[in-house]
Amino acid sequence: MESKKGHSKPGEFKPIDLLACAAAREVKDGEIVFAGTGLPMLAIMVAQHTQAPTAVCIYESGSIDGRPIDLPTSVADARCSYQAAVGDGLTDVFGQLQSGKVDLAYLGGAEVDLYGNVNCTFMGGPTGKRLTGSGGNSDIHSLAKRSVLIMPQFGQKRRFVERVSYITSPGWKIPHWPDKEWVPKQEVYGSAFNGGPAAVISDMGVYRFDAKGEMYLDTVHPGFTPEECRENCSFDLNNF
Amino acid sequence: MARPKIVSLTEAVGQIKDGDMLTFGGFTVWRRPMAAIYELIRQKKRNLHLVEVNGGTHDDMLVGAGCVGIWESSWCGHELYGKFGSNLARKIEKGEILYEDWAHIHILNRLTAGSKGLPFLPTYSAMGCDMLNPENDNLGKAGLRDGSNPHIGKLKYAMYQEPFTNSEIVLVPAANPDWCITHVQMVGAEGTVRVDGLKFSDQEVIKASKHNIIIAEQVVPEEYLRREPTRNMIGGYLVDYIVEQPWGAHPTGLYGVHEPDGEFISNFFKATRTQEGFDQWAEEWIFGVKDFQEYLSKLGITRLESLKANPALGYSSTMKRGSR
Repeated sequence: MESKKGHSKPGEFKPIDLLACAAAREVKDGEIVFAGTGLPMLAIMVAQHTQAPTAVCIYESGSIDGRPIDLPTSVADARCSYQAAVGDGLTDVFGQLQSGKVDLAYLGGAEVDLYGNVNCTFMGGPTGKRLTGSGGNSDIHSLAKRSVLIMPQFGQKRRFVERVSYITSPGWKIPHWPDKEWVPKQEVYGSAFNGGPAAVISDMGVYRFDAKGEMYLDTVHPGFTPEECRENCSFDLNNF
Repeated sequence: MARPKIVSLTEAVGQIKDGDMLTFGGFTVWRRPMAAIYELIRQKKRNLHLVEVNGGTHDDMLVGAGCVGIWESSWCGHELYGKFGSNLARKIEKGEILYEDWAHIHILNRLTAGSKGLPFLPTYSAMGCDMLNPENDNLGKAGLRDGSNPHIGKLKYAMYQEPFTNSEIVLVPAANPDWCITHVQMVGAEGTVRVDGLKFSDQEVIKASKHNIIIAEQVVPEEYLRREPTRNMIGGYLVDYIVEQPWGAHPTGLYGVHEPDGEFISNFFKATRTQEGFDQWAEEWIFGVKDFQEYLSKLGITRLESLKANPALGYSSTMKRGSR
C-alpha cells in the first residue's frame, strides 16, 4: 500500500468520502445488509466500524457476515469471505433475500427516476448504449425491505431522470405486465412485497421518497445548495 | 459413462459442437475456465448458445471471437477492471447477436430447475421490470420459440396466479445446457470434485448440464478427497472429461491460489472496444500462441508469481493495489 501520507486530516474530505459516510449512516445496528460491488462495500464496512457493529453483511456471491481486513474488489473476492460465518453460494443468499430476511440493500446504477426505478442495462432503451445488465441489482431492489442507491450526480443530470429508459430494477411505481399499466409496486408484488427504495445518496445530497413513492431532496451535502441539486437533476425536484 | 476420462484440453473442447448450449462454473471474474475459452476460440466454434447465471471476461471474449449465436444471462462485465462487456455491447448495439436479459434469480432458477428435473421454477424477482417486458422477448421476436430448438422454450416466462396465497409469480423455464465447463482447485482421478472458497452456482449448473468438463489445478488421488467427503461438491459419475491445467483460470481469480490479473483484464477491455481491436488482441494472445502452456510462458513467471494468494488469507497480501 501507499504510505499514510495519502490519508485525510480531520475535517478534510472529498465528495466521494462524504458519499460513503452518508451511505453508511443508513445502516441500523443489527440489520442484515446485502451489498453490491464498489462503494456499497465501503459504506457497509464504515457502518460496521461506527454505529452498526453488529450489522451482518451478505454478498450475492454467497459469503455471509465476513470480517474483511482489506477492502474487496468485488463481491466474489476472497477478501469478502475472510472470517465469514458461511461461504456457500447464490441459491442460499438469494433464497434468504426472497424470504424477506434482508433489511437493507445497497446498490449502484447508471440511471434512477422519480419513483426510484433503476437502469443498469441500456442507456436510451434497447436500441441505446449497452451496459452490464442487472446482475443482482433487480433481484435485490425487488425483494429487500429497504434499498439504498448510491450514485454520482454532480455534472451528470442525465442520471437523474423522470422515467428511466429501461427498468432494470423496480422502484415504487412500475408497469404491470403484460397490460403495461403503471401501478404501485405493492400491487404488483402482492404477498411478496417486502418494501422498496428508501434513499438515493449522491455526491450532492440525500434523496428520499414520499407517500406517493416520489423522490424528494432530504438533505444537501456541505458545499452544495438545493438549487445546485435541482440543476443536476433532469426532473422537477419540487418537493423541497 | 461410469468413469471420466483424463484428456488434453484440445480433446475435451473438441467434443463440443457448433450450436451447442454451454454454461460455465464460477462467478463474474472468479474461477472461470479460461484455458477452455481460449481453446474454444482457437477451434473456431460457432453459433454457441450461452446460458449463464452471470457472464464476465470469458463470455465477452467468446462473443468478441464470433463464437456465440445466442447470449442469455443476467450480466456481462469485468467487475472493477472494465465497466461492461464491450464485445457483447458492440454486437448487441449492432444487432449482430441474439440475446435475452434475465434477473440473477431468474437465470439461477432456470438452471436450478434443470438440475432438479423440473420444467420450471417460480420467483417473485424483477416483476415490473423490462427483462419481463413482452416487447423484450428477443428469441420470440426472432421466431425461435416454435419448438424446433429444444433449448428454447415456447415462452420466455409465464405469469402465474399461484393457488396457495393467490399471489402472482413468475415461472421461468428450465435450462439444460449440453455442456458445462468448470475450473476447480482439485479433482480426483475418478472425478470427485472439490472447490475451495465460495461455490457460487456451480452445483446447479453442473447438475443441469448433460456433459461436464472439469479443469483442475491438480488431479489428486481419489483416496485423498474421500477422507473428507463433506468438503467435496460433485461425484465423478457426473463428469465426462477431466483436464489438468494449472493456472487455467487466468486472467480470472482462483480462491486461495491466485488473484484475478486485473491489469490483463483491464487491457483486454481497453483493447477490444472495436472488432479490429479484438482481432488484434486475439492474434497476440490466442492465435499467436500454440496452446495454453505457451500462453503461460508468454505471461512469464514474474507476472504469475505476483498474483499468487497467501494461503492463510485466501488472497494476495503483497499485490500492489490502487491508491487515491
